[in-house]
Amino acid sequence: MSDWKRIIIAIDESPRSINAIEYVGSIAGHLAEVQLCLLHVYPEPPPDYYQSGAPLDEYKTEQEEKAKMLFAQAKKILQGHGIAAQSITSRCQIAGQQSISAAILDLQVRENYGTIVVGKRGISKAEEFLFGSISNALIHNGRDIAVWVIG
Amino acid sequence: MAAYTSIASLPEPVARNLKEHRVTRSLRRPSRVYTDTTDFTSIDYGDIIAVEGRYFLITSYTKEGRFGVDEQIKPWVPKVEDLATGKNYIVKLVFKETFDMRLGQFAITCYRSPEKEARILELVQGQPHFMQGETLLDAVGNLVRVLIPVSGLRLDKVIHSDSTHRDYFSNQLPLILEQFLGCLRAIGFLHSNGFRHGDIRRDHIFVDRNTGLYYWIDFDYDFYLPEKPFALDLFELGNILIYLTARGDYHPREILADPTMGEAVVRTLTPSDFSLLARNRVVNLKKIFPYIPDSLNNILLHFSAGTEVFYETVAELHTDLSAALLELHS
Repeated sequence: MSDWKRIIIAIDESPRSINAIEYVGSIAGHLAEVQLCLLHVYPEPPPDYYQSGAPLDEYKTEQEEKAKMLFAQAKKILQGHGIAAQSITSRCQIAGQQSISAAILDLQVRENYGTIVVGKRGISKAEEFLFGSISNALIHNGRDIAVWVIG
Repeated sequence: MAAYTSIASLPEPVARNLKEHRVTRSLRRPSRVYTDTTDFTSIDYGDIIAVEGRYFLITSYTKEGRFGVDEQIKPWVPKVEDLATGKNYIVKLVFKETFDMRLGQFAITCYRSPEKEARILELVQGQPHFMQGETLLDAVGNLVRVLIPVSGLRLDKVIHSDSTHRDYFSNQLPLILEQFLGCLRAIGFLHSNGFRHGDIRRDHIFVDRNTGLYYWIDFDYDFYLPEKPFALDLFELGNILIYLTARGDYHPREILADPTMGEAVVRTLTPSDFSLLARNRVVNLKKIFPYIPDSLNNILLHFSAGTEVFYETVAELHTDLSAALLELHS
């Protein structure tokens, strides 16, 4: 089992991400030696994106700008719970040819994180089949880690 | 209006074949020669598409029915004859469109991508179960896909006959599923190379009338489901399997209309017996045809509203169907 205090918080612009950050803050604020990685993974642009002539770099820059704001808000919440700034890192990356859940797990394995935290979307069976559930994929495919799904 | 040149620009043997062609004799105007296919609506029956030293005479157009609309001509997909060799092809000209496809309560954005089809045609050269073709570039760089038509009928047209379902199920279906397994392997091959078919439908499998082999056609659609990139292909494969097993689609109205089933069968249906995404289509076919073995019916139930487990890959579906087929053969 990896070190569970090395925690990835996978976030997007949804309110459920804020719930996840608040939850982690309320626990991690009482812990020593905790390392938090705020992670925003975004998908490749849709197939017609390039037809407009826009380059991939423009899309990435746009996503990174959004992520910067997310990270600032998340850090403020976490520090409000008493977590030191140097215990919080942030990462924004494109999923590339992978699914978002696979990209999260890749980072977890590569950098030896022991816990992944995500917000719960609450989707129907049909939605899960068609659009996927990141939290279910993490639970299903994660090995030797804890996955916290925050409602 | 696209620019064209006269037939005076054609090489001599090509001009001679054109002059003697039945299409030329039926035309009241001279053919026009197009090297730029951007404005395909200006190019018409009897015109010539000239790309990379090939000369394709338009002899007719393909048609397609969809979304409840009757068969419509597809002006970007002419049927042609190569004026040098006399061989027939289907040509696909560049037509990009984006639209939302309704699937039950969901809308999924679909894209028509000539680039994707060109890449798939290159990938599947010589592979079984795929329509073959090549991509040529017109004078301004449009991807002109030149396809070898499969000589045969759509799969959904060849499975129907006057036989009873029981007879069809025992005598025809095992052979049909044997071929369908090849279609599954073909889609698995696409997925393993990062491509979706994008438009899996029962009328996009053609059955070669000489060999009986099944071929996928039409690879230019794509969709955007980043977390489950192959889910829609999988769902549509399930739909075809359900159709093949039942030899048709079964909604309550078809069951009620059949005197051998009627109200007695409809009464047994529960919400979990219907499709996960098309909530009026019966997936639990064992309730209609009790002789369907569990091994096959359980595969179908993966696509039902009652399922707890989804197929994540075509390989999983292929494995289960292979095992079910063994039971059907025995």
